[in-house]
Amino acid sequence: MSIVEERKGLIIFGVILIVVLIAALAAYQMTGHMGIEDRFTTAVGLPSGEEEGGETFFGFSAEGDPVLSVIVLGILIVGSYAAYRHFRI
Amino acid sequence: MAHIHLEDGSFSLFWVLAWWIVALCLIGVALFFLRSKFKPEPKMITIAAFVTAAAFAIFQVQIPIAGGVHVNLTPLIAILTGPVIGTLVVLIVNILTAAIGHGGWGLVGANVLVNFSEVLVAWLVFKGMKKITEDLFSRAGVATFAGLFAGNLVMITVIIVSGIQGVNQTTAQILTGLSLIAAINMGVAVIEAFLTGLIVAYIGRIRPDILGGNRK
Repeated sequence: MSIVEERKGLIIFGVILIVVLIAALAAYQMTGHMGIEDRFTTAVGLPSGEEEGGETFFGFSAEGDPVLSVIVLGILIVGSYAAYRHFRI
Repeated sequence: MAHIHLEDGSFSLFWVLAWWIVALCLIGVALFFLRSKFKPEPKMITIAAFVTAAAFAIFQVQIPIAGGVHVNLTPLIAILTGPVIGTLVVLIVNILTAAIGHGGWGLVGANVLVNFSEVLVAWLVFKGMKKITEDLFSRAGVATFAGLFAGNLVMITVIIVSGIQGVNQTTAQILTGLSLIAAINMGVAVIEAFLTGLIVAYIGRIRPDILGGNRK
């Protein structure tokens, strides 16, 4: 089996990756640096509201209400653990 | 990933209801299949619970790339649970996401359709790629790109068809703006493709039965 045949999947993946990165960089050049909500409202023509510059962790930030996020995630984790105990994987 | 990041009131009531009805029909079909043809194995319930928790958690994190982007793991949901259970998982994730104030309630129906298209296409491509290669990383990676591309197309279609209330932009201007968002989203898909590829390859190595193979 030739190396191209052997690595066909990775070659397809690599080609898509390059095309996608070029398109994304071009789009970023055109739109500039802005948050996702701002990017959306600008694209559809809605008035661009100031995005809250809440707490960030090395630039990462949480969407929505962080307290509710933690509560919901806690419930999901408990549910997952209960499912694991009951059904296993 | 694709997600309609608009507040309630952006779509008219007619379109909010229309997308909700289409989404509920999809959920109905998924429930029908679950009760009749595709009764899930017990372990699938555990996997569905875990991917729901993981997708919800990662979806709330804004990654500091290009000003802020999201990853949502819909292709991983598709690969691990399939399109039937995957449909229910994206419904739950979208409802919980709206419940914590990330996105509007009225847009949950439309967002379920966007995420469903990601799940369906990613699953089809992951399965279809088996004819080309056995390599799990590249199959999952390509499936992720395909799924997220489909999600972006559906997102643009839903917004263009619905129209946005109270804006003066022409359809062509909205289409241009959304196409740029889709292109940036696809850049983020690179991260998601690597993440999904690595997770699926790892699972394939230690627990191939989860991906439909034989247990080691």
